[in-house]
Amino acid sequence: MSDPYHAKLARVLVGHCTNVRSGDVVLVESPITAAPLVLEIYREVVRAGAHPLQRLALEETFELLLRGGDDAQLEWVNPVRREDFDRADVRIVLLAPQNTRALMNVDPSRQALYGRAHEQLGNRYLERAAAGELRWTLTQYPTIAAAQDAEMSLDQYERFVWQAGMLDDDDPAASWTAFAEHVARVASFLAAKSELRLVAEDTDLTLGVGGRKWIPAGGGENFPDGETFTGPVEDSVEGTIRFSFPALFQGREVDDVTLRFEGGEVVEARAAQGEDFLRQMIAMDDGARRVGEFAFGLNDGISEYTKNTLFDEKIGGTCHLALGTAYPETGGLNRSGLHWDMVCDLRAGSEVYADGELVYRDGKFLDASLA
Amino acid sequence: MNDPRLERLAALLLDYSLAIEPGQMLRLEGYDAASPLLLALFRAAIERGVNPYTGILLEEADEVLLEEGSPEQIDFLWDIDWAEIDAVDAIVTVWARRNTRALTRIDAERHQRLIATRRKLSNRLWERIDAGRARWVGTQMPTSAHAQDAGMSLADYEQFVFAACHVLEGEDPVAFWQSTSAALDTRARELSGLRELRIVGPDTDLRLVVDGRNWRGADGKLNMPDGEVYTSPVEDGTSGDVRFTFPAIFSGRQVEDVRLRFEGGRVVAHEAARGADYLAAMLDMDDGSRTLGEVAFGLNYEIDRFTGDILFDEKIGGTMHLALGSAFKELGGRNESGLHWDMICDLRSGGEVYGDGELIWKDGSFLRDAEPASV
Repeated sequence: MSDPYHAKLARVLVGHCTNVRSGDVVLVESPITAAPLVLEIYREVVRAGAHPLQRLALEETFELLLRGGDDAQLEWVNPVRREDFDRADVRIVLLAPQNTRALMNVDPSRQALYGRAHEQLGNRYLERAAAGELRWTLTQYPTIAAAQDAEMSLDQYERFVWQAGMLDDDDPAASWTAFAEHVARVASFLAAKSELRLVAEDTDLTLGVGGRKWIPAGGGENFPDGETFTGPVEDSVEGTIRFSFPALFQGREVDDVTLRFEGGEVVEARAAQGEDFLRQMIAMDDGARRVGEFAFGLNDGISEYTKNTLFDEKIGGTCHLALGTAYPETGGLNRSGLHWDMVCDLRAGSEVYADGELVYRDGKFLDASLA
Repeated sequence: MNDPRLERLAALLLDYSLAIEPGQMLRLEGYDAASPLLLALFRAAIERGVNPYTGILLEEADEVLLEEGSPEQIDFLWDIDWAEIDAVDAIVTVWARRNTRALTRIDAERHQRLIATRRKLSNRLWERIDAGRARWVGTQMPTSAHAQDAGMSLADYEQFVFAACHVLEGEDPVAFWQSTSAALDTRARELSGLRELRIVGPDTDLRLVVDGRNWRGADGKLNMPDGEVYTSPVEDGTSGDVRFTFPAIFSGRQVEDVRLRFEGGRVVAHEAARGADYLAAMLDMDDGSRTLGEVAFGLNYEIDRFTGDILFDEKIGGTMHLALGSAFKELGGRNESGLHWDMICDLRSGGEVYGDGELIWKDGSFLRDAEPASV
């Protein structure tokens, strides 16, 4: 029996998030673990008159490559994937891990080598997305491994995911349209600001955002969505930030990260656990020590930390900062093989100042129109 | 847990069938049920310095496309599909289904349309294989669905498949197939010297002219398992009667107990216990469909039973098969047809084959071993 939520989610992803149209070439990228959802997406894409192409992977292959591959193998870029990114109209990407920690013991320098070699591929897709040539969305298929990280049963986790996606609403697409308008109001409020200062326990960080765009992410490129993000001015970041949630990257968990910035660059990186990995990732390339993204999480339908960045960075009342590559559509110029989102809870005892004025406290914008 | 038989099969496919080299681009393709073997192949490829990637399709997606897609969607091939065929150095296709009959009730015309779409890509691949620019091998991953078709448990069927590939514990698969390849070459050379074959068995007395035709061994380079020698007989030389004791299967349709009479190379009478109408329709397909395009000896003696899967059945040790329809041009064959229907004749008990009047095969075996290949 197929799960009716899979069909609902597929309709939102294909219709609302990526607006698939007749004749589009649509890449469906997923581990085969998510086969039931892939099949429903395939069906919706066919119904839209478009051409679904399956790009399905076996989860274990990435570990085999990282562990067993020599430099030439890690640096090999599949020409088919390059063409995919150059030519497709739509990408629908599913996360569906069977084991979120499978890469824990992989040599980080191997991961960094792979990251550098594939940076161009990622940049190409971000450029085309920024230019409006490639529509995409990324979502999570509930798996037991993800439930385990969230410390839930699979049944509880499925309900968490469907709720975060507003799939129980009569018309999920309409709910997302209304929510997107709220996110857009926050983005235009921030667009007028040139400097942000974030103050919380062990945190006092200043970022220049003048001249940069705040992108409202209200139900398109991530699903579920709910954030607004920008690319801060590259050399403007100063001060210290301590991340209250563990920082997750490719199956690793780095706890209690504190970063100190001078002139836009990380000059000190500390962690209670996983500090070596943190330092190696920051040393990946020149761009890896700069901030590529700063964002506010705005989805109040997500309140729990589940050790999954896709959800955690959207938690209403959080902010996140990514080391590494910037999204070109923000005006951010930083480029790197890295893009590592780290999330900071602002719901208790925090303040944000914009151009010297208090605009946000304890996880909420103070302006009445943004409530 | 990894099945060591899959690991050995993966190594055999890469080292022997494809002779893959470091740095080559290797596509590993199949439906989702093929995943265990695809993963073993990926691991083995990484160990060999190869650049592998998977091209996995959901078996059920075809059903969705056939049920809901427009003709344009069924016909669709993306530019990148062509570019991919031109870029790859080697492909392994792993056949594996979770339900071999899922498409039985799908509109046949739409299904043929999808097959035709995909054949365009495989034709392009064959051009590259023939030009020596790409390599390909196809193999079977045991699944419950295929075991069910073969009338076996999954455990028995796995044993059957892996024995046929010679990848059981204690075997040296590469050494086995290398020596088999040499023996098949020698056998093919010997048979290439013959002018006429006479096949005698139950309700069977058939003469074929093979004068001037080259025989070739099928030695595991393109299919795994493998094991046959084959040629295309002289088009107008076949005469007499043949009875096929195994069901003849074409495009998923089964015809039982086929009997054919040939005169001057063409089928002049035919009957079947079941599916006679379908047989008649196929024989009338075109000018070439009543003439033989292939004659072959099945020589894989680990394959000892009929399973309904031509990859295995045509290689059953002790059988011969004859194909109505298209011939192998590279072996001297000239018959052309849209049909190539392999029918298998069990010669394991009471079968005899004469080459130019001399008994060369009895009860399912050649009487003399192939002479060792000269070094």
